[in-house]
Amino acid sequence: MRIGIVCPYSFDVPGGVQNHVMDLAEALIALGHEVSVLAPADEDSPLPPYVVPAGRAVPLPYNGSVARIAFGPVSTARVRRWITRGDFDVLHVHEPLTLSLSLLAVLSARGPVVATFHTAITRSRALAAAQGVLQIVLERITARIAVSALARKVQVEHLDGGAVEIPNGVAVAKFADAEPLPGWPGECGPGTGGTLGFLGRFTEPRKGFPVLRDAFVALAPRRPGLRLLVAGPGEPDELFDQFPAALRDRVTFLGLVSEPDKARMLRSVHLYVAPNTGGESFGMILTEALAAGTTVVASDLDAFRRVLDGGRAGRLFPTGNAAALGDALVELLDDAPARAVLTASGDQVVASFDWPVVARRVLEVYAAAIEATDGRVIDEEWVGLG
Amino acid sequence: MPGMWWAVGAAVAVGLVSAYLVWTAGRVQRLQDRAELAARALDAHLLRRAAAAAVLAERRYGVELYAAARIALDARPDEREAAENDLTRQLRAVQLDPTDPDCEAVIAASRRLALARQVHTDLVRDARAARGRPLVRLLRMGRGREWPRYFDIDDPTLSAPADVPTG
Repeated sequence: MRIGIVCPYSFDVPGGVQNHVMDLAEALIALGHEVSVLAPADEDSPLPPYVVPAGRAVPLPYNGSVARIAFGPVSTARVRRWITRGDFDVLHVHEPLTLSLSLLAVLSARGPVVATFHTAITRSRALAAAQGVLQIVLERITARIAVSALARKVQVEHLDGGAVEIPNGVAVAKFADAEPLPGWPGECGPGTGGTLGFLGRFTEPRKGFPVLRDAFVALAPRRPGLRLLVAGPGEPDELFDQFPAALRDRVTFLGLVSEPDKARMLRSVHLYVAPNTGGESFGMILTEALAAGTTVVASDLDAFRRVLDGGRAGRLFPTGNAAALGDALVELLDDAPARAVLTASGDQVVASFDWPVVARRVLEVYAAAIEATDGRVIDEEWVGLG
Repeated sequence: MPGMWWAVGAAVAVGLVSAYLVWTAGRVQRLQDRAELAARALDAHLLRRAAAAAVLAERRYGVELYAAARIALDARPDEREAAENDLTRQLRAVQLDPTDPDCEAVIAASRRLALARQVHTDLVRDARAARGRPLVRLLRMGRGREWPRYFDIDDPTLSAPADVPTG
């Protein structure tokens, strides 16, 4: 099958949607399909061979952060040329309601169009106000995919349509084969040692870092050799100021890490802790930790309970309860066989999130979209006549 | 010459209005075509599932499932939704073993049917919304074609998505 995928955000900046698009494209290629990805990028930036650059992206504040996107007459011309040359069986756009290449592609193409919605933003008022314009975009989409139950809910409630829920995939092999950082995770035995991991923005309240900090501060004096490995955006001072001076040398901060380093980081700890207090729509990081073969200890949130199969594939603790977290940590650090049981179940859980499995489900949606339209993806005058 | 400008303005307005009308007519027709194609795809998947269920029933699960599959295959249009729901219930009542190829065929057919149903419902909704617009009704743009009909059945998905085969 010839598949054209449009990514709205530039590959120069790492992000969830970009990673999703790259992993999906690679999984589809591995299954024997021809894939071309159109994304904003400079002509001379280093890109995977299947990516077609659509020109410079401009920074634009969007949804609380800065997205680099491409929009305008030049981008439109490139999108249309890419569609004409591509001769695709199906066009797959991501986040088609953002001002981006994806929107341009939807408006320029006729034929089987599949759209994936990633964010679960409930901009209900904005959506309701723009309903007439949105309708023109939405009715050019043949089939919709939502990556989480929450994203699907937005579809149903605000965009007046259903969507197939297909979760984010995990490139299991990339995590399972990653090399731990030198010197990590170190010793771990009954009553001594052990390494805890945390990944994310430690300043954001919903990530729940203070819960882990309190548990660590209470535990560390009683347990020699216990270490904490933290990765994510933020200032080192802000992190270390939260700990008593005596414990600071047992905390290591990696800063913002790349995808490969994230995998290595997850392989470098005995227990990965997700102390989130809410707001997590899917829990991608948990599936990644499971893929790395690391035991997970997580808050008892709906999304986490679903990923961890109700506690079979990882330990759940009452959300926000540092004492309960501390007890769970001691118990699991002391008991290597118990950790092995959890990671063995984790392997089974994560197999259903592996990209080849997820990509096959996406292919079924492509097939459904192709059946409901006649012919291939063709370029068409903008919101054209007739 | 104010009269001439008035004439030019009127000509532009007429041009814009007719362009909009042509575009709207095309949009209605396109959505209608697509809903009809989706209905045909849905029909094919319903037949495929019933056939797979009949094969499985002959081999393993016997009379009740076989009867439900036959009824779904032979149902008249006005009885078809009920017959398909009945087949879904029968399939849910039996223990399907994903490692058995006949069971797997039924599970896969149900999964594809769920997708076809989803797409069909969305496209019918779009087509009906376009045909229901006041201007479209006033000018009777969709005349000569039946209104696209919803096909109202329960979600036919049988097993958790985790059961997609990896092989």
